[in-house]
Amino acid sequence: MNSHRLTSDDIEVFSESISHFFATLTEERANVRSAYLLDEHKAPIVWDDFNGVITVQGSHVGSLTFSAPRALLSHVLLRMGEKQLSDDHHRDVVGEIANTLSGRVRRHFGDGLRISPPQSFSGQSQRVEKLARSAAYAIPLRWKHYEANLVVHLDVA
Amino acid sequence: MIVDDSMVIRNRIERLCADGRLPHLSVVGRAADGVQAVEVARRERPDLVTMDLTMPHMDGEECIEALAGLLPETRILVVSALSDKLTALRAIGKGAHGFLHKPFNDDQLVEAMLELMP
Repeated sequence: MNSHRLTSDDIEVFSESISHFFATLTEERANVRSAYLLDEHKAPIVWDDFNGVITVQGSHVGSLTFSAPRALLSHVLLRMGEKQLSDDHHRDVVGEIANTLSGRVRRHFGDGLRISPPQSFSGQSQRVEKLARSAAYAIPLRWKHYEANLVVHLDVA
Repeated sequence: MIVDDSMVIRNRIERLCADGRLPHLSVVGRAADGVQAVEVARRERPDLVTMDLTMPHMDGEECIEALAGLLPETRILVVSALSDKLTALRAIGKGAHGFLHKPFNDDQLVEAMLELMP
């Protein structure tokens, strides 16, 4: 497997995907900031209250993780009309956000990108299996006054 | 009938079906994967199905093919995050009748469902 860093165009696709998600679902854009490389020896440093993980195979190998605080996800659930705000609902929606962000990205990388159903977990109770060799990128975002991150960890297969 | 592995999405679509904008529709079943969907569809014989594609056990494409063989009159609206053209064409080829990309707003879903209403 080649160790291949994502290009700025690739990163832009993830950033646009985040913007599109919040604009469509909540009619309020997220402020997506510059991506930065994570130090693999210190990871996971951005794992938040809830994490949704998509495993990627095919033309690229690795994972996408949407990591967000409970308050952001509660607000998204309310915008979706959800009345129940249990841990199960938060785990479900964080996985659904990861799934939605990854779907748009496949249009950029091509049909050879195979995307798993999301897995979700709370806090640092579980580690994401390291499938890619290159360093991961964190793409920080702010929606309303909440901070969250999309962590992109992908190699070209 | 609503098929999606996300409970939150199933709830959201069900609420939209009940809010008066789709007066001729009522939800007859929900399923979290393709295997459940085939069981529920066999029992309830829905007129319209909203279908996710990325699901565990049996994915949406397989499920569409199964439903198209089992209930050829049932209209299938794919509601998926997979937004590439080839995926949409493949789903239509398996027997789906429409495609709505996630994320969607309420108006987009209602419009897509109205277009496929029997």
